[in-house]
Amino acid sequence: MLPNKTSLAPPGIAGELPAQRLRTTRPSAAALSVLALAAGLYLILPLVLERHAVDLLVFCGLYAIAGAGVGFLLGQGGIVNLGQAAFYGIGGYASAYCSARLGWPTPAGIAIGIALSLAIAALIGRPILRLSGYFLALATLALGIICTNIYFEADFITGGTLGVPGVPKLAIGGFVFDTPEKFYYLVWPIAFATILAMHNLMGSRVGLALQAMRDAPDAAMVMAIDNARLKLWIFMLSSGLGALSGSLFAHYVGFVNVDSFGVDKSIMFLLVPVIGGASVPAGAIIGALFIGLVPELLSALGDIHRVLFGLALVASVVFFPDGLWGLGRSLTGLVRRRSGAAARGETTP
Amino acid sequence: MNLAPRSAASAPDAPLLELKAIAHRFGGFQVLHDVSFAAPAVGITGLMGPNGSGKTTLFNIISGFLTPTSGAVLFDGRDIRAENVRRRSLDGLVRTFQTPKIFERLTVAENVMVGAFKAGRSGFFAGLAGLPSARREMTDMRARAYETAQRFDLGAVFDRPSPLLTAGQRRLLELARAYQGRPRLLMLDEPSSGLTTTEIEVLITKLKLLAEEGIAVLLVSHDMELMGVAQAIHVLNFGRIIASGTMAEVQEDAAVREAYLGV
Amino acid sequence: MLFTQALLAGVTNGFVYALVGLGIAVIFKGSHVINAMQGELAVVGAATAVFAAAIWGLPLWLAVVAGALTGMAIAILVELGPIRALFARRAREESFLLLTVGLGFTFSAGVLYLFGREEHLLPALGDEVYEIFGAIIREHALWVIAISAVLILALRLFYRHTHLGLSMMAASIDPDGAATTGINVRAMRTATFALGGLLAALAGLLVAPLIGVGYQMGPLLTLKGFAAAILGGLSNPLGALVGGLVIGILEAMSIVFVSSGMKDAVALTLLIVIMIFVPDGILGRAGRKGG
Repeated sequence: MLPNKTSLAPPGIAGELPAQRLRTTRPSAAALSVLALAAGLYLILPLVLERHAVDLLVFCGLYAIAGAGVGFLLGQGGIVNLGQAAFYGIGGYASAYCSARLGWPTPAGIAIGIALSLAIAALIGRPILRLSGYFLALATLALGIICTNIYFEADFITGGTLGVPGVPKLAIGGFVFDTPEKFYYLVWPIAFATILAMHNLMGSRVGLALQAMRDAPDAAMVMAIDNARLKLWIFMLSSGLGALSGSLFAHYVGFVNVDSFGVDKSIMFLLVPVIGGASVPAGAIIGALFIGLVPELLSALGDIHRVLFGLALVASVVFFPDGLWGLGRSLTGLVRRRSGAAARGETTP
Repeated sequence: MNLAPRSAASAPDAPLLELKAIAHRFGGFQVLHDVSFAAPAVGITGLMGPNGSGKTTLFNIISGFLTPTSGAVLFDGRDIRAENVRRRSLDGLVRTFQTPKIFERLTVAENVMVGAFKAGRSGFFAGLAGLPSARREMTDMRARAYETAQRFDLGAVFDRPSPLLTAGQRRLLELARAYQGRPRLLMLDEPSSGLTTTEIEVLITKLKLLAEEGIAVLLVSHDMELMGVAQAIHVLNFGRIIASGTMAEVQEDAAVREAYLGV
Repeated sequence: MLFTQALLAGVTNGFVYALVGLGIAVIFKGSHVINAMQGELAVVGAATAVFAAAIWGLPLWLAVVAGALTGMAIAILVELGPIRALFARRAREESFLLLTVGLGFTFSAGVLYLFGREEHLLPALGDEVYEIFGAIIREHALWVIAISAVLILALRLFYRHTHLGLSMMAASIDPDGAATTGINVRAMRTATFALGGLLAALAGLLVAPLIGVGYQMGPLLTLKGFAAAILGGLSNPLGALVGGLVIGILEAMSIVFVSSGMKDAVALTLLIVIMIFVPDGILGRAGRKGG
């Protein structure tokens, strides 16, 4: 550190702002072309894939939506949420009950599911989020099990183990999403919009505050950041996404019961960002594809795929702390350094 | 862009911070006894004392991390004991930490920008939607952060990840971030610990400049050299104020000599 | 009548929760890691014994020993492998949690794969049935209470009076200081996990003749054990016993006064309330760390 006589000089003397970009601004041309390619691939996939594969991709999309919420909590809030299936269940049952039992239009059920989920998250989040670390994680796990228990007992709404059959297909303004292909073009844009919104948030004032809170909560408070409120907001965001995903699931499959909303589902949603990478919202997409497709590839092996699943979680925690995203980034970083391109970012502006 | 702190509403020579008979105990252990002193709205006030004298506890009480067992904390003439850390920060009471608490996964620029969080307006939904106003706000915050970073000799490392900074730069970053929060009273906890002599000299020039800008500084340290910048010094030992006065007066004080040198 | 019956069941369960919680507390005390796979270790221990007795035809005592050692061996391997890797990386709390949750999931999937969905029962230590104040208690339940009580007492003596126990305590309280006096701090952490794994397996083995263990009961067992441990104060072995009894009895009362289907919900709600309002436990001495 060099002593600098001109420091604390009047603002006018301050130098030009370095042109380094904010995290919010546009990606490079290379990134754009990759993105365009991915978009093209996304659009034509259902035309070339068989129906079963499209069906799998729809599930991946559902996992991406619910998993993105959990991932945002983990990556930006440092909160391990082991109870997302509770909110997935609220969405699923709200949609099933409103449309199958009450005969209401399908969007109404989705809206009620999300609203209910937000309300419950707000109510429960306030006390629970006072906890941190292990205690908070185990509290969310407990919350998930409590809800499963309630779903089981409240059979006048949930149908208990028998579940609610005959949930109608999602219909918006007369358009019925009655094939995997149609659903594919609905679920993924929702997932992409979710990721984009999260990305926006990270690049905003509130996003900055979130990251500050995660890194040093005491210092964040001194900067007048309301940690409790931030945590509550992202918990509600995550819960709302869980409910949305659950509603879409109910309409897609046409049937819900307790088995869809158990602890293993919560763990799966947590697995999405852990395997995909929690440092960026887009990690949820990678994780969801992994979780939706890999077991299918392994299904020939039978029940063992659950074991492999667990091992994948363990391996990614031990070896790839930032999941596949982090792995990919360090690999491309390696390639870049090999090919001699200057490593940007660590040089002066 | 006016970053100068808001001017005090009360009379010019009324103290900005006033502690009245603060006492605190942890379990059965009395760490502070009847501590009273005041810090004026201008200049640097020092709080000195050997390790374990209760400085950090007192600091936590003033900044709102602890509620004292008894006694009152007045800021600008108001009792702020019921206010939390965030509320006090909005009042203009901003502190640093003994070990700098840097946001490790953010760049230097972003760290300083967080300092200006309270001046911003865009909320959660504007952020999610990526509204132009939210983006503009970030650009403005960044520009202001750059000015501040330059003042604290961090212009050249503005876009560097914060873990790459030296110990001296980390102190300055914490100072810059606190300055960005428009403090009226800036509380610094052992800002010279872990710094080289040259780095301490830089720190001293920055402190003087801050004071010249009209920011009141409360400096906690046991570093005599650094304490030289303070106009008034209070010495804490075993949880009691044992002496108050200028550096020269305090150094002559028998109780202080005993506490420090064991004479 | 019904009340007494429920109370007896609650006390029996309480001892089992205490054992699970004790294992969690032991591991936490020795490593500052919350072991979220404690329940699964109990399931694995019990399932191994059932398997060894039924399929390989081992005598019961040998099968039980095999189950206990399996739980212990798994815990040791977990510490030597991934836990050490995370410590070496100075990983944060959430990584340790994700790791043990992931391992728990893996073990439960392993039990499902190898032993199937059905619940596994071990033969009881005795088949007599006794009557106490008009309520019925099985002989095995009495054995569960007696053996758990002995184990808890033994653990207390172990930590207070044996060289190994004292070294384990020293290594966790002041690692640097312990290292200078020649204690192998890392080995002590392994020992801590071994002890925790053994306690988990024993809990599973004790409860298996009463309710049967299934692959999916791990998380619930972990949570109730955890509730017992923090209710009693994480660093106090006797605390886990008090905590376990409170949880077990409250759960039993909720069967009588609320509904049998809601007993887990009641117990877990209680856990959340405890964590928020009495994080240091009702006996409340040593503060918790790392929470």
